[in-house]
Amino acid sequence: MRDVDVVSRHAGLARLSFSVWAALIYLFLFAPIAVLVAFSFNANEYGTFPFTGWTMDWYRQVFADYQIKDALYTSLKVALEVTVISTVVGTAAAFPLVRSNLPFRNGIRIGMTLPIMIPGLLIGVSLLILMTSVFHFQLSPQTAVIGQAVYTTPFVVLLVAARLQGFDPALERAASDLGANTLNRLRHVVLPLIMPAILAGALFAFTLSLDEFIITLFLIGGHNTLPIYIYTQVKFGITPEVNALASLLLLASLLLLVIAFTLPIALRKMRFAYRARRA
Amino acid sequence: MEQQVATPPHALPPADVSAGRRGSRLSGLTQYAGFIPALLLYGLFFLAPFGLIVAYSFWQTIDYEVVHKWTVDNYRYFFSVPTYVRTMWATLWVSLAATAITLLMAFPLAYWLVRYVRKSLQGFFLVLVVVPFWTSYLLRVYAWLNILGEGGAINRFLQWTGVTEHPVSFFLYDRPAVILVLVYLYFPFAALTLYASLQKFDWNQYKAALDLGAPPRMALLRIVLPQMKAGMVTAVIFVFIPILGEYLTPQLVGGAKGVMIGNLVVNFFSGAQYTRGAAVSLLIAGLIVFLLLIVRKSLEVEDPYRA
Repeated sequence: MRDVDVVSRHAGLARLSFSVWAALIYLFLFAPIAVLVAFSFNANEYGTFPFTGWTMDWYRQVFADYQIKDALYTSLKVALEVTVISTVVGTAAAFPLVRSNLPFRNGIRIGMTLPIMIPGLLIGVSLLILMTSVFHFQLSPQTAVIGQAVYTTPFVVLLVAARLQGFDPALERAASDLGANTLNRLRHVVLPLIMPAILAGALFAFTLSLDEFIITLFLIGGHNTLPIYIYTQVKFGITPEVNALASLLLLASLLLLVIAFTLPIALRKMRFAYRARRA
Repeated sequence: MEQQVATPPHALPPADVSAGRRGSRLSGLTQYAGFIPALLLYGLFFLAPFGLIVAYSFWQTIDYEVVHKWTVDNYRYFFSVPTYVRTMWATLWVSLAATAITLLMAFPLAYWLVRYVRKSLQGFFLVLVVVPFWTSYLLRVYAWLNILGEGGAINRFLQWTGVTEHPVSFFLYDRPAVILVLVYLYFPFAALTLYASLQKFDWNQYKAALDLGAPPRMALLRIVLPQMKAGMVTAVIFVFIPILGEYLTPQLVGGAKGVMIGNLVVNFFSGAQYTRGAAVSLLIAGLIVFLLLIVRKSLEVEDPYRA
């Protein structure tokens, strides 16, 4: 590819300007986050410019705040339930989507991705009507779990279906020839093969749930998840405490991202080690 | 993996023949059993509420009670209030502007990645684009509040240096601020899709165009861009459509002048005007379906799950 540039007289200039553009883009992407993290250590009580000195006070406040603890607890509980529901439902649905003689398969596949395409706002308000006017449910973290699961499950379906599609059906036929019944094939052949996709889907669902805002806003009633708590705090401006909390959440998101990238590799290594020991 | 398959099945029942012939395809209705949980979840909590919201949009609210009387009053009301209609047009305009700017910003980046970055490093730079996206949506909007807000960095800086005495809301609480933040939020989508479609491009064609005497700019416009159409349509879908339903960004940085149609929905619902809110929601949904139908041709891809 690179030899194309030799032809152009302005190759060097083009290269330089594209590189400068890329640098500006990365600055644009990371500067707001960097400013946020920097201000979380700023002693200035307005949580903003000018920088009057370093402090850990805001972090101390975050850890002492029982409202934040409450919201964190609700967030984690909701995220766990959402993860379990969407992993089970999504994995189960991926099988017939890939393997059955389904009529209108493409239509159904696109239909399954609709909850991702449709703005969360619409999922939120329509479920709000259903929960309050038809079922007469009290809004609670449980109703928020349902709303979030509607949104996160398609991601699991897509990930697991792709993996299920990708593996060699001969493996299963071989197991069957060797006498494994459906359950055994599932346990010893299929599940180990698609496990990385299931784990990735679960992790995805967990992270999406932790960050989800708009559906939760409509369905959680008087309770707070962390995003809802932050929203109520920042509606009227910035506070240094939220800067600290936000920085902590950014760190947590990044850790999850690192886990998502390294977990499949670590799992494979462990399995190899295990097998080597057995052999 | 093969080793596991070969673990001796000691006392197992005889292999079922149907599975042996056709992989693990089950016969009859059992093959659809896996759909049952999904059908419950989506039938009950996605399709039913959607039907409900359609019905609500044609019902009436009288004295905070929903009356099951069919009417188009909710829609008529929406279109009879000039502010609402203006907001709808403004929403389309903001979405269009944000999408265009996002694509224009993302294209040179994708081009830079594909043309000037070593293959082994491309993955790293792509992850760098996605990292901010992986962090919370709310926090990404909030981060801009820190910079643009009334008590934000720019204003404090101006006051500190004595340029102004009172905080100016020039940067905030208007449409440009909304567009800026929307571009920030949706940039990774555009960058990823444009990168994917540029990467598939056969650069020999570009080289051939240059050999035949086309200036690079013309080769780019006439050879590269037309083949990226599918990628661009995908990018537009992933940027334009979600922006139509935006609530948080205009709420936090848009102020009174930056209101979008999503804010109207929330206002109606928090004012217990469910039927009017339902009508506005359905307008958004209709707009999205309309857009998807327009671009359907470019979306018709092969079924990736078919063997």
